[in-house]
Amino acid sequence: MDTTPTDALISQLDRLAGEFAAAIAPLDDEQAMRATQAQFLGKKGQVSAVMKELGKLPPADRPRVGEAANRVKDAIAAAVDARLAALAEARRAADLARTVDLTLPARPVATGHLHLLTQVRLELVDIFAELGFAVAEGPQIETDWHTFEALAIPKDHPARDMQDTFYVADEIVLRTHTSPVQIRTMQAHPPPIRIVAPGVVYRRDDDATHSPMFSQIEGLVVDRGIRFSDLKGVLTHFANRFFGGSGGLDVRFRPSYFPFVEPGVEVDFTCAFCRGKGCRLCKGTGWIEIGGAGMVDPDVFAAVGIDSEVYTGFAFGMGIERMAMLRHNVSDIKLYYEGDLRFLRQF
Amino acid sequence: MKALWSWLLELCDLPTTPTVEEGARALTGGGLEIEGLTDLGAGFSGVVVAQVVAKRPHPESTKLTLVDVITAKDGPATQVVCGAPNVPEPGRKVLWARPGATLPGGITLATKPVKGIESPGMLCAEDELGLGDDHAGIVVLDADDPTALGAPAQRALGVDDWLLDVNVPANRGDCLGHEGLARELAALLGGRLVQHDVSADLAELASELRTADLVELAIADAAACPRYVGRIVDGVAVGPSPRRFAQRLRAVGVRPISNLVDVTNYVLFELGQPLHAFDWHRLAAPPRIGVRRAAAGERLTTLDGNDRALEPGDLVITDGSGPIALAGVMGGQATEVTAATSRILLESASFEARSIRRTARRLGLLSEASQRFERGVDPALADRAAARAAVLLARLGGGRVATGLVDHDRRPPARPPVPLRLARAQVLTGTALTTASCEDALARLGCVATADGDGRWLVTPPSARADLLREVDLIEDVLRVVGYGEVPATLPPLTAAPRPLTTTIADRARRALAAAGLTEAITFGFQAPARLEALGLPADDRRAQPIAVRNPMSIDQAIMRTSLVPNLLAAIARNRSFGLPDVALFEVGSVFLRAAGQPPTGEPSALADEPTHAAIVLHGSRPRRFGAAEPWDAFDAKGFALTLARALGAGDPAVAAAADVPYLHPGVGAAITVGGVVVGHLGEVHPDVRARFGIDGPVYLAELDLGRFAEPGPVQMRPVPRFPASSRDVSLLLPEAVPAAEVEAVIAGAAEALVERVALAEEYRDADKLGPGKKSQLWSITYRAPDRTLTDPEIERAHEGIVARLTAHLPAARR
Ligand SMILES: [Zn+2]
Repeated sequence: MDTTPTDALISQLDRLAGEFAAAIAPLDDEQAMRATQAQFLGKKGQVSAVMKELGKLPPADRPRVGEAANRVKDAIAAAVDARLAALAEARRAADLARTVDLTLPARPVATGHLHLLTQVRLELVDIFAELGFAVAEGPQIETDWHTFEALAIPKDHPARDMQDTFYVADEIVLRTHTSPVQIRTMQAHPPPIRIVAPGVVYRRDDDATHSPMFSQIEGLVVDRGIRFSDLKGVLTHFANRFFGGSGGLDVRFRPSYFPFVEPGVEVDFTCAFCRGKGCRLCKGTGWIEIGGAGMVDPDVFAAVGIDSEVYTGFAFGMGIERMAMLRHNVSDIKLYYEGDLRFLRQF
Repeated sequence: MKALWSWLLELCDLPTTPTVEEGARALTGGGLEIEGLTDLGAGFSGVVVAQVVAKRPHPESTKLTLVDVITAKDGPATQVVCGAPNVPEPGRKVLWARPGATLPGGITLATKPVKGIESPGMLCAEDELGLGDDHAGIVVLDADDPTALGAPAQRALGVDDWLLDVNVPANRGDCLGHEGLARELAALLGGRLVQHDVSADLAELASELRTADLVELAIADAAACPRYVGRIVDGVAVGPSPRRFAQRLRAVGVRPISNLVDVTNYVLFELGQPLHAFDWHRLAAPPRIGVRRAAAGERLTTLDGNDRALEPGDLVITDGSGPIALAGVMGGQATEVTAATSRILLESASFEARSIRRTARRLGLLSEASQRFERGVDPALADRAAARAAVLLARLGGGRVATGLVDHDRRPPARPPVPLRLARAQVLTGTALTTASCEDALARLGCVATADGDGRWLVTPPSARADLLREVDLIEDVLRVVGYGEVPATLPPLTAAPRPLTTTIADRARRALAAAGLTEAITFGFQAPARLEALGLPADDRRAQPIAVRNPMSIDQAIMRTSLVPNLLAAIARNRSFGLPDVALFEVGSVFLRAAGQPPTGEPSALADEPTHAAIVLHGSRPRRFGAAEPWDAFDAKGFALTLARALGAGDPAVAAAADVPYLHPGVGAAITVGGVVVGHLGEVHPDVRARFGIDGPVYLAELDLGRFAEPGPVQMRPVPRFPASSRDVSLLLPEAVPAAEVEAVIAGAAEALVERVALAEEYRDADKLGPGKKSQLWSITYRAPDRTLTDPEIERAHEGIVARLTAHLPAARR
């Protein structure tokens, strides 16, 4: 049976859908596909060319052809969508097929290190700050008067032997302790005073546990009614915060002599490592010696013009290197000052 | 101070005899730290006191003797072979190391044949027991030695004892003798001190001679010599000291010499009073003893044989003819005791501490005597010590003591009693002290306390306790006896203290640099002069005028640092030597500069300026994963420097082209400015400078003076932009010599309000395309208005204005 022109036109349109699918099959990017799509559907495209024949058909047939044309347009759009979806899926599959050996080295994020002594010093200051202490500082090159005389250590005093001194001039020394900061603070501020003074000091001493430069932290409290027992309480708080972990460390005072305090004591903490049972670190005694302390001597108050009948006070001093050594198991004091990255980067 | 436990116990009367550990604990608890406790007899065991009952020659050797010894009266005798030349006659006692005995050096004795005859152990010499150095023969005990047969040899030798190493505080010169320590022990353990009473001995040993007839004292300077006691002992013979007497000296660290010299040392250790023995016959006749300052040009040959030039500050003893001794430091050779001495002038005196200290130190003669005088010797001791020594001299030397003494007694008047208030003691200590506990403690310390109203006393301390001058001294001692363990732990009431300044600018700098990935070093405040010189600073630079340490421990610590740079360069070199090629370090710390107005060299007369600096050094490669190095460069130093400056609150840190810093590369250096003020420098370290530190690769540096930064106030918020920004680029062809900062300055000079940001986007050089000495820069300028979206014409107008300005002010062409 012969086909009608209408049927021929419809089958021509239907063929175009097949031709389009074949045309985009080898394409793998959307732009080329859209160009092909425009080629088929545009004003000069194949579909339009077929549709120009529409006027020649009987009017009654025209809706059928219109339907066929829409069907072709839908088929072409669907073919593009399907093809794009297939391509996206292929890309995703390819991406997921990637593997990276994450056991290769990391890209380094530069990690800085505060010196262990800085870390410990900052922690000490924080602990005392909890009790209301402020930080005070003073010069490292100091007058003999601030370093010794005002602290009741006159020239020829035997206690000067205890601190072999570097001199810069007759009356100028490298401070042997942070105690001159006490004097400067008391000269500058009337009581109440509550300060800690961390800083570097110098003594002519050089072996495995002594360095000619080392650092101390000094504490000073002056007010009405300050008691020797307050010194014990403050140091007990400190011991437990710094070494304690779960608390329960005691402070022991042993009488000792420092010309600028009376009574003067050596301060021991319960050994935090054996909890007082005795171990290598405390040489079996259960106690760790941590520093010197005492009640501010009336002669010191006199030197700075504070009335010792009205005010009392206490002072303490501790070596920061020693505390770091104890807590971090540092074996040689020299390691702190050599700038050795193998040491510095550990903390 | 070394002390013997037996000696201490001899000098105190305690309620119960403590063990040495208990005694040591008490002394340590009282502030006299026992740093060492040595069992003197621990060196050997199994050696016993034995009596010789017969001896005969060894049949095979003339040098050997067969000795029969017993260890119990009428017990069985044992034959021992002995090689010593001094085997005593039967009846005397010797020390027998029996089989199984152990001697120093890990020797264990057995029964062994000696030239064919079995010897069970041996008879011992002193050195074989680790005591003394006498190997002249075996130990033969004195004829009247009381030690029982069979007793441990330790007892006979006086080494069944403990040696205490006492750390005596600087203010407790009274504890530099056994008596002072015994006083402490008695106070701490609730006993009392026992003092030797020698009056009966003196009466028994008195000679017809009178001291005052034999010596005269003519001492003018009472300040230099407040007390001088002289005694004469006549008819003595020089000989060795008794074994146990000598052993005590040996134990405390003094070599026994002869009975006459040993007695002075013995009394020194017993009472703490240094003594000197002159040979009376070698003094001017009659001796007229004086104490004075040496005259310039005077000389004295001291006991050690050195002829010494004296200085006017030195105190000397004179006998009328001239100096015969350096007071309190060392005697003179011309008047020293010799084997021929028969009459002794004993000196028991006290001298001004300061003079003794100065002379002893100048001459390097730190003797047992000078150390005690330096800390002060109680003048009240002089006559007791002289009497005790005279008696011992007479007993040990077989002489007699001349009657009476000469005594220059110019002691200052007794100190007034010290007031003590219970209430004050309670407030100061925070401890529950009572009237009863205070009075008990004072009594135990040997203080006489008289009640002076309710809860008040007037206290007279013992004369030996020159350190108890003030109420607070008494409070301390009372508390010491009560026990520091009684002090409770309290906290002071919180009162308004000054602003808690807990973060200094130095610590802010440290935290910023560590956060930026650098590692902090802390280096010495002093350094080697050569390290500073290596920077090549001109002489008029303040940093080239360091403050020197007068008495450094080594040349490496001879000057105070004026810059952080040398120590950090040295740290790079050190790390390289450890095999670490990549070093990034910083330090924040003080440097020491002569104060304004101080001369550039010599000792300063004013304290230093101590500004805090921060310095950063970079060497080798920045951290990388693996593969080729990624070398640091000067822009890393710049990045760290600007990061630091911003962290310190500087809003507009800038880097100005070229800086005149001698230790930086002449073409790679710049000044860092904040608000137009130079705050530091950065760049590449001059190749010559780093070469002087042994570093063969570039080092990049930044250093900032933290003192130039103002304390920043709180950061104030700027409005967050609400309207979009637009960028426009301009490409410029520029001569090489035009710094980027100049381009930025020209753009800033346009004062165009719409410009938000100016950034260099690209730079390239291509002589073929651009021509030689030219560079091309692409600058990106961002425009924004706070209150509206900018229109294209607005942006174009602003941008073209800037471009026009650039081409007008710079030798620049738009590309
Ligand atoms: Zn322990």
